[in-house]
Amino acid sequence: MIRRAVLVVLGLVWLGPTYLLLVNAARPAGSYDPGSAWVPSGDFALFENFGRALDSADLTQSLASTALYSVVSPLLGVLVGALAGYTIVVLRLRYGFWWFLLIFGGTIFPSQMLLVPLFVGYSDAGLYDSRLGMILIYTAINVPLAAFVLRNFYSGVAFSIFEAARMDGASTWRVFWRIYLPISASALTAVFILEFTFIWNDLIFGLTLTQTEEVRPVMTAIAGLMTDVYAGTPVPVGLAAGLVVSLPTVVLFLATQRLFARGLSLGSV
Amino acid sequence: MNTRAPLLGRFKHGYVAPAALLVAGLLYAPFVWTAYLSLTRYDGLEPPAWVGLRNFTKLFADPALLTSTRNTLIWVAGTMVLPVGLGLLVAVLSYDLKRGAWYRLPFMLPYALSGAGLAMVWSPILSHGGIANLMLGVDTAFLQDAPANTVAMLLVWTWQQLGVNTLLFVVGLQSIPKEPIEAARLDGASGWRLFRHVIWPLMRPLTAVVVGLALVAGLKTFDIVWVLTQGGPGRNSETLAVTMYKETFVASDYGYGSAVAVMLTVVTGLASYLYLKRQVTAT
Repeated sequence: MIRRAVLVVLGLVWLGPTYLLLVNAARPAGSYDPGSAWVPSGDFALFENFGRALDSADLTQSLASTALYSVVSPLLGVLVGALAGYTIVVLRLRYGFWWFLLIFGGTIFPSQMLLVPLFVGYSDAGLYDSRLGMILIYTAINVPLAAFVLRNFYSGVAFSIFEAARMDGASTWRVFWRIYLPISASALTAVFILEFTFIWNDLIFGLTLTQTEEVRPVMTAIAGLMTDVYAGTPVPVGLAAGLVVSLPTVVLFLATQRLFARGLSLGSV
Repeated sequence: MNTRAPLLGRFKHGYVAPAALLVAGLLYAPFVWTAYLSLTRYDGLEPPAWVGLRNFTKLFADPALLTSTRNTLIWVAGTMVLPVGLGLLVAVLSYDLKRGAWYRLPFMLPYALSGAGLAMVWSPILSHGGIANLMLGVDTAFLQDAPANTVAMLLVWTWQQLGVNTLLFVVGLQSIPKEPIEAARLDGASGWRLFRHVIWPLMRPLTAVVVGLALVAGLKTFDIVWVLTQGGPGRNSETLAVTMYKETFVASDYGYGSAVAVMLTVVTGLASYLYLKRQVTAT
């Protein structure tokens, strides 16, 4: 009984800010007042508020860019990582473990160690403030995890499958593309979701490597909106923006929850 | 070997090359370059000029760096204790309850918000004259004075992170063997004693992992500070990661910014190493 009581009290404390978010994101932009923030307004202006955020910070472009980055980069990263895992484990690449260590070692660098050279190098190479540049760095960051999970996954797949396909005359690429990729779909999906979420929520690379509204990812754009909250963006507009841009990761996660759990448990053996 | 070679194909290096090139070109090379730049004076326009360890001697005498080191330590200690401890509490209280998932739902919702969304929710609450002021009947600017502003942001962070830690602990609690717990229950153990002497020892390895993750995350704290205070007012809520960003991209002192990045990396590496070593000797 005490257990339930503690959980309920703590839960109510935790629900408070969530409640404030929902109530005030739906409040007409002009009528926000901290004194009556707990009282629902009776109106539902969430979409109007989000529309205002889209207009004022030109979030439409940022949303499109972020959608592009968070889909294309994980796809490329997962593909490249899976191919490396396949080559190391199934094709038994010589010194494969060292190749693996080299690739997986990429996870240990804090992003602060990458920012200056990326900024300077991108400026020199004409990649600064370009969508291509953002896709490249996001892909590179995704490769180590993909290689790690898929290498584990492929080492659990019977080698006889590979042998049989090769005896039938399929090329090593064809075996990868037509057999190994499809059987690892759940692991690929799990990694994809993790990387999608990481990129969707990324702030620092967007802050460092982009400038214009067309290229700048949405979280960076919203953080910019944030510093203006005091300078005029009405609180309901900011809340609506924060709420709506958080939705895709939630929806993706809920929609693929089962697949996600299965992919990770297979990937971790 | 010769009979194997055709079966296993000949184009192997071509297959591993995209991964190796992406990682080497975009992660390793910048890493090495930053290490080099930390030993130079560099503003991004003139070529880097070698200054030896001068950036590092400056670093240890810089009062702003002292502040951000203190704040980072608060973040590290705070993230290792608050979200992890409360997450464990909620997990232990709810894991074997009927409809436990419903009791946990309030804690899971905030995890859906990104760093920027988090700032949207909390700045109207914490601002001067904001919701928290009116509720508590006080007149405090929670994000104004150091180190109180760091503690306030730490509480915001706890609000968001508790759920994911709870989830990890619930999965752990549901997978520990039932027999010792049943046996202890039959012997009359319950509540705190059951937790302290039966459940906690079984949960130790998982807790070690969760605390280790919190340690590294705490050292790298950037997003939440950037969106809530940008390290201010003045520089009093900066963390090392924020200092690195500001020195580099606001003050255009790339060499000094790189030195801060190197220091952050060394500290993270050292802390992880010492933590892992302690965990290994403890078990």
